[in-house]
Amino acid sequence: MLAYIVRRILIMIPTLFLISVISFALIQLPPGDYLTSYVAQLRSMGDNIQQEAIDAMRDRYGLGQPVYVQYFKWIEGIVTRGDWGQSMEWQKPVSELIWERMGLTVVLAVFSLLVSWLIAIPVGVYSATHQYSMPDYAMSILSFVGVGVPAFLWALIIMYFAQTQLGMNVGGLFSQQYLEAPWTWDRVVDLLKHIWIPGLIVAIENTAGEIRTTRANLLDEINKPYVELARAKGLTENRLIWKYPVRVAMNPFFSTVGWSLANRISSITLMSVVLSLQTTGPMQLRALLSQDMYLAGSFLVLLSTLTVVGTLISDILLAWVDPRIRMEA
Amino acid sequence: MKREITRRDFLRLSAVTAVGAVVAACAPPAPTATPVPPTKAPAPTAVPTIAVAPPVATTAPQPTAVPAAKYQEAPMLADLVKAGKLPPVDQRLPKKPWVVASYEGNGKHGGTWRRAFNGVSDRWGPTKLVDRAWAWFDKNLNLVPRVLESWEASKDGTTWTIKLREGLKWSDGVEHTTADYAWWYKNELNNKKVTPGVQTIWADPDKQYAKFEALDKYTAKFTYKKPKPMFIYNMVRGGQGGTASAGPITPSHFMAKWHEDTTTDKAALEAEYKKRGFASWEKFYVDRAQWWYLNIERPHLGGWVAKNEMAKELFVMERNPYFFGVDPEGKQLPYIDKVTHRLFESQEVKNLWVTNGEIDMQYRHMTIADLALYKSGEAKGDYKTVMGIGAGHVAMQLNLTTKNKLLNEFFNQRNVRIAISHAINRDQVNQLVFNGMYKPRQYSPIPMSPQYYEKLSNAYIKYDPDTANKSLDAAGYTKKDANGIRLHKDGVTPISFTIEGTDQAGTPTEDAALLVSKDLAKVGIKATYKYAERSLYTAHYTANDIEAAWWGGDRTVLPLVPEAQLFRGLNADRPWAVAWGFWYTNPQDPNAVEPPKDHWIRTIWKIWDEEVSVEVDPAKQTAAFKKLLDVWATELPYVGILGEQPTPTIVKNGFKGYPPGMPNDDPTGDEQFCSSETYYWDDPSKHMG
Repeated sequence: MLAYIVRRILIMIPTLFLISVISFALIQLPPGDYLTSYVAQLRSMGDNIQQEAIDAMRDRYGLGQPVYVQYFKWIEGIVTRGDWGQSMEWQKPVSELIWERMGLTVVLAVFSLLVSWLIAIPVGVYSATHQYSMPDYAMSILSFVGVGVPAFLWALIIMYFAQTQLGMNVGGLFSQQYLEAPWTWDRVVDLLKHIWIPGLIVAIENTAGEIRTTRANLLDEINKPYVELARAKGLTENRLIWKYPVRVAMNPFFSTVGWSLANRISSITLMSVVLSLQTTGPMQLRALLSQDMYLAGSFLVLLSTLTVVGTLISDILLAWVDPRIRMEA
Repeated sequence: MKREITRRDFLRLSAVTAVGAVVAACAPPAPTATPVPPTKAPAPTAVPTIAVAPPVATTAPQPTAVPAAKYQEAPMLADLVKAGKLPPVDQRLPKKPWVVASYEGNGKHGGTWRRAFNGVSDRWGPTKLVDRAWAWFDKNLNLVPRVLESWEASKDGTTWTIKLREGLKWSDGVEHTTADYAWWYKNELNNKKVTPGVQTIWADPDKQYAKFEALDKYTAKFTYKKPKPMFIYNMVRGGQGGTASAGPITPSHFMAKWHEDTTTDKAALEAEYKKRGFASWEKFYVDRAQWWYLNIERPHLGGWVAKNEMAKELFVMERNPYFFGVDPEGKQLPYIDKVTHRLFESQEVKNLWVTNGEIDMQYRHMTIADLALYKSGEAKGDYKTVMGIGAGHVAMQLNLTTKNKLLNEFFNQRNVRIAISHAINRDQVNQLVFNGMYKPRQYSPIPMSPQYYEKLSNAYIKYDPDTANKSLDAAGYTKKDANGIRLHKDGVTPISFTIEGTDQAGTPTEDAALLVSKDLAKVGIKATYKYAERSLYTAHYTANDIEAAWWGGDRTVLPLVPEAQLFRGLNADRPWAVAWGFWYTNPQDPNAVEPPKDHWIRTIWKIWDEEVSVEVDPAKQTAAFKKLLDVWATELPYVGILGEQPTPTIVKNGFKGYPPGMPNDDPTGDEQFCSSETYYWDDPSKHMG
C-alpha cells in the first residue's frame, strides 16, 4: 500500500510539470500578448502611445524573450522562491491576488460537494428502493431538470428571485460593509448569509447527476443474491439496504472525488462571473482574455494541482475501500 | 469483521483529513497586516503662519466673488483640525482658490457616493473623478482655468506663459509649484530611460521638446518653434498617471526618491526595486510611481484620495483635505466625503444593484439598451434616469485601403459611397432598434459642439433606394448574378464584403447592422455582419485585413481633442483609411500604403497640418476645421447612420449637481463634466453608508 502511494505521488511530479508546460503554451497561443490588448485599450481611449514606449514596456515585462525563457524564469521563481510572477493587468505579484480567492473557491467547492452528497445519497436510495413509484418519477423529473439547466441560468433566476421577492442584496459573497473588513465572526456570518445561493446553485447542477448515479448503482445491487440472503436471515429492510448495497453503490462517489472537485470549480467559474463572486473564476477568465500570462498560468497550474491531488486521494480511498483494485502500476 | 471496521474508520478519518488538507493548502496565508494608509496627513512643511489674505476675485470667468469671511471646513475634517492633526482650512487652500458653483445651487458637506467598477482595467471610471489638471470646460464648452490661475499665449501661439495658484497644495500638504514642473521636465520628460520616444504634445514637429523656463515659483513659460494652439488642451485631463505620462503635474518631492538622478540614497533605491522584482530603477519608477490607484501614497490634486488599492473588491476614496476648490459660499470642495467603487463581474449584477438603489450616480457602464430596465426600477430604487447627449454614433467604415482589389476599386468611388448611404433606411433602424431615440445623421460633431457643421451631419442621409440604384448603375455595376447581387467590373465576382464588429448577437447595435445589411441587399450589395472577438478584430485592422467595420464613432463633442484623429483616418480601429493612416504616421510601417498624389485625404491632412493645428485664434481654428469637414461632406469617407445618442445616467433622488442634457464624451469627462467636486446630497445624513 505504501509503495503504491509513493508511486502515485512520484507520478504526480511529471504530470504537474506537463500541466504547467501545456498551460503556459495555451496562454501563448492566441496572437499578440498582453501589451497588444493593453495598447489597443489605450488607443481606444485616445491615448496616442508611441512605438518606443510600447517597446520599452515589452522589454520591462520581458515579453520580447523567447517563450521557453519566459517559462523557465516563471517556474524557477515558483520552485525556488514561491514567487508566482507579476500580474501585468493588476500590477501586483500574483501571490497577493490569488490566495484569498483560491480559499473562497475551495470553501465553495467543498461546501457544495457536501450539500450535494447530503441530498443525493438519501434521495437516490429512496428512488431506487421505491422504483417506479410516484415520488421516484417526481424525483427523476426534477433531477433531469437539474442536469439540463446550466448553472448560470439558475444563478440568474435565483438572483432575480432573491432580489425582487426576498429583497436581498445580491452579487458578491459579502455585504458592502464587510467587503474590506478584517476577518471577524460577523464577517463569517455575513459570508454564510451569502454563500448559500452559490452553494445551492452548484449543488443543484451536480446533485441531479449524483442522484441518478446512486439510483442506478443501487438498482444493480439490490437484486443480487447476498441481499436476498440478508433479507432471508431477517434483517430489517432499512438496516439491510444501508449496510450492504448502499456501500457498494457509493463506490463511484469516491472514485470521482478528483474530478468532481474540478467540475465544481469550473461550474463555480461561470456562476461566479454571473453572480460577481470574487472566487478564482472571474479573475482567471479576465486574465485569460487580456493575456495576463503569469496570473492566468498560476490559476491553471493551481487548479490542476487540486485536481491531481483529488485524484490521488480518490485512488487511495478506492484502493482501501475496494479490495478488487490491483496495486500494480 | 475487524478488518472492515478499520477500513470504515480509515475512510471516515481520511475523508475528513483530506478535505482539511485541501482547505488548509488553499487557505490564504496568515493574514499579514495589510498596509493601512496613514489617516493622519503628514504635517505640511511650509504652512504660512500669518493669516491668509482675504480671497480676491480671480480673473477667470467664474461665479461671483467669495465672501470675505473665512472658508468653511467640512465637518469630517473639523475634528482633525481641532486635534491639531491638520492645519485649518484657510491655510490649506491656495490664496486664490478655484471658485466653482454646482450646476444645481449651493450644496452641503458630507455623505457617500456609491458607484460600481469592473476591475483595474476600468481605472478610467474612478480616474475621471480626480484627474484634475490645468483647465476645464464651462457649460458652453469654453476652456476656463482650474489648477492654473491663468495663462497667456503669445500672438503667434509659440510661447505659453502659465500662472499657478499660489499656495495650492498636493494631497499631502506640500505646495505645488513650478519647481515640480522643472523637475518633471529635466528628470522625466528629458530622461530617455523614463520617457522613451517623444511625447508629441510637448514637442515641435521636428520632435524636439519645447523650451521650459520657471520664471518664478508660480510662473512658467513653454516656448515652441511652431505654433501650439492646443497647448492648454494637453492638460485638461490626465495628470494622475495611468496614461503614458502624468505630464508636468508631477509631485517632485515624492517622485525624487524613486529616481536614480535625484534620490539621496541610491543603495536603498536599488534594494527596493530589486526586492519588488524590477530589473532596473526606471522600470520601477515608471511601474510603481505612476499608478495613483495602486500606489496610493502618490500625492495628487484631485478632490478625493484613494484609501485602498483598486485591486480590491471595494475601492474607497475619501476627501482630499488640501483640495484647491471652494463653492461661491466659501465651502471647501468636494461636498461629498467619500466615494466607493464596488467590483462587479457581470452586467446583470450591476443592473440589479442599479434597480435596487445601490448605485448613487453613474453613467459609466450604463447603456441605452437597458433603458427600459432602468426606468422600471426607478420607483423601487429611488433614483432617476437622467438623459445626456452622447458623442457616439452608429456607423459603418468601408476600408478604402482594403487589400481586396475589386472592393478597393468599388469603395473608392465617391458615388458608390453616397449610393450606400442613400440605400440605408435610417428611420427604420432608429424606430425598430432604438425606439426612435437617436437621430439620423452622418458621423460629425453634434449640435452643442463648437465645430458643429450641419452640411456634414445631413449629407446624403435621405432614404432613397432609387437614387442609390441609379448611381450604382451609372458607376458601371449593372450586371447581377442569379441572387440579384451586382457583379464587380470583372463581370464574374459578386459585390460582397464582410462588416466586422465586436457587437455580439442580440445587442441592439448588432440588430442595426443586420438591418443595414438587408437594406444594402435591396440595392444589390451583399454585406455580411460578422462578430469578431476584440483581440481578433485588433489583429485584423492592425494587419489591414479588414473590408468594412461596424465600430461607430465618438469624440464629436470636442473633435479637436485630442487631435481629431478619427477625422484624419489615423485611428486604425475605426478603419476607413487603415493603410493610408499607417503611412501618415510611419511610412516604414509594413502595412503602410501611400495615398495617390491628388487624393482628397491629402487635402484633409493639409488642412490639419497647415491650418487647424497651427491656428491660435479659436474662431479661425474652428473655421479651418469646418473646411476639413467640408471635404468629409463631399467625399463621405465614413457611412454614418445614427447619432446624438441619448445616454442614461443613474442619479439617486437627492443627488444634486448633474442636470439632464449634458454632453457625454471621453474628452469632456463623461458624467464628471460638471466637476464632480460640486455634486452633493441634499440630505447627506441619509447617505453616510
